[in-house]
Amino acid sequence: MRWLINLWKTLNKPAQYLTLGAVSVTAFLMGVIFWGGFNTVLEATNTEEFCISCHSMQSKPYQELQKTVHWSNHSGVRATCPDCHVPHNWSRKIARKIEASSDVWGWLFNTVNTSEKFEDKRLEMATREWGRFERDDSLACKGCHDYKSMKWDSMSKLAQKQMKRAAERDQSCVDCHKGIAHTLPDIGTARAPELIAEVGTGPSKFDDNAIYFSSLTKPIYLNERTDVEAGTLNIATKVTILATKGSRIKIAIAGWRKKMGAGRVVYLDFGINMLLVQLEKFAALEDGVIVGFEQKEDDLTGLKWQRVEVEVWTDADYLIDQQQPLWDYARTTFRSSCSVCHSQPDEAHFDANTWPGMFQGMIAFVDMDQDTQALVQKYLQQHSSTFVKEKH
Amino acid sequence: MNRRDFLKGLLSTSYVVISGASVLAPLSALAKSAARINDDWLTTGSHFGAFKIKRKNGVIDQVKPFDSDKYPTDMINGIRGLVYNPSRVRYPMVRLDFLLKGHQSDTTKRGDFRFVRVTWDKALGLFKDSLDQIQTNYGPSALHAGQTGWRATGQLHSSTSHMQRAVGMHGNFVKKIGDYSTGAGQTILPYILGSTEVYAQGTSWPLILEQSKTIILWANDPYKNLQVGWNAETHEAYEYLAQLKQLVKAGKIRVISIDPVATKTQNYLGCEQIYVNPQTDVPLMLAIAHELYTNDLHDKEFIEGYSLGFERFVPYLMGTDDGVEKTAKWAAAITGVNEEVIKDLAATMAGGRTQMLMGWCIQRQQHGEQPYWMAAVLATMLGQIGLPGGGISYGHHYSGIGVPSSGAAAPGGFPRNLDEGKKPLFDNNDFKGASKTIPVARWIDAILEPGKVIDANGAKVTYPDIKMMVFSGNNPWNHHQDRNRMKLAFQKLECVVTVDINWTATCRFSDIVLPACTTLERNDIDIYGSYANRGLLAMQKMVEPLFDSLSDFEIFTRFAALLGREKEYTRGMTEFDWLKKLYNDCKSANDGKFKMPEFEQFWQDGYVHFGKGKVWTRHADFRADPEINPLGTPSGLIEIFSRKIDRYNYDDCKGHPMWMEKSERSHGGPGSDKYPVWMQSCHPDKRLHSQMCESQEYRETYTVKGREPVYLNPVDAQDRGIKDGDIVRVFNDRGQLLAGAVVSDHFPRGVIRIEEGAWYGPVGDDGSVAGGANIGAICSYGDPNTLTQDIGTSKLAQACSAYTCLVNYEKFRGKVPSVSSFNGPIEVKL
Repeated sequence: MRWLINLWKTLNKPAQYLTLGAVSVTAFLMGVIFWGGFNTVLEATNTEEFCISCHSMQSKPYQELQKTVHWSNHSGVRATCPDCHVPHNWSRKIARKIEASSDVWGWLFNTVNTSEKFEDKRLEMATREWGRFERDDSLACKGCHDYKSMKWDSMSKLAQKQMKRAAERDQSCVDCHKGIAHTLPDIGTARAPELIAEVGTGPSKFDDNAIYFSSLTKPIYLNERTDVEAGTLNIATKVTILATKGSRIKIAIAGWRKKMGAGRVVYLDFGINMLLVQLEKFAALEDGVIVGFEQKEDDLTGLKWQRVEVEVWTDADYLIDQQQPLWDYARTTFRSSCSVCHSQPDEAHFDANTWPGMFQGMIAFVDMDQDTQALVQKYLQQHSSTFVKEKH
Repeated sequence: MNRRDFLKGLLSTSYVVISGASVLAPLSALAKSAARINDDWLTTGSHFGAFKIKRKNGVIDQVKPFDSDKYPTDMINGIRGLVYNPSRVRYPMVRLDFLLKGHQSDTTKRGDFRFVRVTWDKALGLFKDSLDQIQTNYGPSALHAGQTGWRATGQLHSSTSHMQRAVGMHGNFVKKIGDYSTGAGQTILPYILGSTEVYAQGTSWPLILEQSKTIILWANDPYKNLQVGWNAETHEAYEYLAQLKQLVKAGKIRVISIDPVATKTQNYLGCEQIYVNPQTDVPLMLAIAHELYTNDLHDKEFIEGYSLGFERFVPYLMGTDDGVEKTAKWAAAITGVNEEVIKDLAATMAGGRTQMLMGWCIQRQQHGEQPYWMAAVLATMLGQIGLPGGGISYGHHYSGIGVPSSGAAAPGGFPRNLDEGKKPLFDNNDFKGASKTIPVARWIDAILEPGKVIDANGAKVTYPDIKMMVFSGNNPWNHHQDRNRMKLAFQKLECVVTVDINWTATCRFSDIVLPACTTLERNDIDIYGSYANRGLLAMQKMVEPLFDSLSDFEIFTRFAALLGREKEYTRGMTEFDWLKKLYNDCKSANDGKFKMPEFEQFWQDGYVHFGKGKVWTRHADFRADPEINPLGTPSGLIEIFSRKIDRYNYDDCKGHPMWMEKSERSHGGPGSDKYPVWMQSCHPDKRLHSQMCESQEYRETYTVKGREPVYLNPVDAQDRGIKDGDIVRVFNDRGQLLAGAVVSDHFPRGVIRIEEGAWYGPVGDDGSVAGGANIGAICSYGDPNTLTQDIGTSKLAQACSAYTCLVNYEKFRGKVPSVSSFNGPIEVKL
């Protein structure tokens, strides 16, 4: 320990023989050498070679990238790992590097060294990256893709509509374009991924009294805390925001129900079987969840209907401010999926209450996930002869 | 070259494809190299199943069933003949008078079968000019390109998609709604059970075999009909039928076939039969309902909780509203079923788990909505809907319905519609007040009576004034009724264009005929099992397109080029680009659920297997919670009485099911004094509709003196001096045909069978082919639709009524004409 104390004493002594200049120059030179080395290492860790030098990066994300347009395209421009995953801004880059040191840990302890382990972790890793993109408004994407330079005319109508809306708000690219360079994780967001990619997941903050539309079929709850599901909010349903608490929002839905059973299914309008909300029995019977108003008998079935308002809680996600993008997506899906075997009938060929029967009778032939099925059925009903009067 | 090297080669080839500028060359090289390696047995599929094919000197030599197909159809013996047969359309051809005079041609000569060979350019040019004229002179209401049919399998080359996309780029046109197979069923059942039912997946066979005590086959012959499927058929359902046969033998399940004839299924299973007079199924059902009701055997709780309107049906059942109580005695007189048998049947059905399996025949008759509706009422009264092995199915004889589904996603197809935002060249949507969509079986009516307004499914349909028809992979001169009426209608058409593999009767009555190649002459992809989704099948090209034939993709790409829209049509992709796209889209849809190799590996293997499925019970969710899982009916419940239909105020389809007398009916019914015999024209045993009739060697295994068999009752035949093997003339006021007698006690008195799909081959009185154009000409081969009547089932469905048909027959003593169906046209050289 003595040598340490001696060293300390030496260093602590003011310079007696060296000039201030010499000290400064030496310090500067040492700084240059250190800085150079640091940057060299930094740059070395910023190359694709470095990224894929570890097996788990090479075997999964790198392979997946090679199947995408970011790897191979008409113009020959290629995005490498750091282009997207390392921020171009210096301070963020350093922060990212410090954050990424956990990868070394992962490498050391074989966290994702097998395909199974990787898949188990995929969601966690992807969520982290999506979060980062969201925080900096997808700055890495915008290094190459600029809203201002987009040629609207060469886009499809649907793409134009979506992109213009996104451009107006300088929206983060990854809000919609998830899973474009690597395989999408198999999770909740993997529900109807194409649909969500088109219409987005919606904002995370909501204004009271504003109108939104569900972009997936969502679970609903009786308060902001419970995990006990009280039922489901059907896709493309109009809701009014009543309050926000943490990650939950309170919503109101206006509709009609049949006076049968527990009366726990709410439809769009009197005598029209367009689904809005399904409640569990306990929830339907809970005070204040469904408020009933006037009743009428539907002459076509002899069933009594009642106008109602429902107030429930749901997670503050998958609610978007316009209904049209949902219909646009449904229309395209209907026309392509339902014309493989025969020409699809015109939307207005049947009325709103006939479409579910026709649609459900053919669904065995069509590959649609539950959400898309529910959306297309609702689209057909909304654009049926009940609402659209034209000769067909 | 070993397998590993080959695969490496493939990968590098495909890499070039992705990054290289010339896409076409490496892909065709890929196709060729894959074919060379596979030269022993290549894989392909069809409506008739999947199989392996071996070639010899560039010619298809042997065909054997796919490895996993344990119950291949006998029709596999006809596959080779689909490619090599004298009926093939070899060159683009144009009807002589049309070539000379175009839209002013003498249409009474339509069907005289005189055609002139032209080049593809000429034929496609004429096609486009005709469309131009029609759109310019009349607008879209004069063009009907929506009459589509069974096509050949393959998701990329699906003929109707190509035709409608290409013609759609030119202009708008009239379309159809519904189909000939299930027109009445698919229209009535959404009102009653909330879905078309006919095309919906049904309760899995293993559950039926495990739970059912009684199975009712009502006018249903699954053993015959499951041989073919909408996509490549797996024939897995036959395994369950084999098990059922054992269960019947062991006395564990009682199977009762309710049918006028002893069906193929009945003969296979060795099950019971209850004979019923043709077209009288509704009275029999009513009597069973009456038995259930009066003996308190109906499930009141189920009726109360799951259905609506029973109380409005009971007065009809008990006769308090029309004075006729629908007793077993009443029904016995109409149906020919003994009173005691009816009572026993009702008790049996109520006495345990009973699965009703309905066939489609009984809805292809006048008032065909009624037996389907009444059967649903019976099933509701039994209260077993939604239970495994109970309730009712309308599809267990079709495309493997009831075989558990793997749940995998199937590949999509070539787009039928224009791409988003694209407009046709003639962007005119003025249908002049006429309907854009007409019920499928009413198009001949429309041609004959344009402007007429009819009732259809609660709406009014105004017939458009049709001047031109375009068909592709579709043979309405098989599936439509009443040939002589069709001839009259076709004389009113200015132009008819048909794209087909063979000289079908539809080609004969066309002006421009374009040769498509068969599935074995192009590359494609298909799902294995329409409902089972058992796997993905490569349909590998075996031989180059014969003669001047082209793939549907190629034909309509060339057509689109005439419109200057070739790139838009193909989206700049080749056949192989499309196959890869369809495969890769399917791969991503199955991602995480079903493993699929890269496309090149799939194409090499010929197959991807998705594994077995899980068993499932139809309507179980509805039974578990009708509030959350309502049916698609107006009320969400089973509608025994439909106020919606009642409000239509139709005289031939009212608020609840009922017995209505037919315009013609055998066994003492209307018209039976003049024509005493009912003709059954069911789906064929050895064809898919009219497909494979052209397969000559195979056809010769079942024809009688070269004619389609007519199955006759022994006593009836003897009365008319007819022996097995005689040529018989079958006739009524609508037409006449020749067929070959097969005498069999499977057929009761007053009933004959001629299977539909027999190719129409009209000949003149002098036996000439050209004379076939004449109204009333005899059919030399035996097409039953020469005799059937062209009326709608009712104002509701307006579907076809082929099964309401009376005829008589005699031994043919005249000079026997040659069969004119299969040798193509009379080629005229200009």
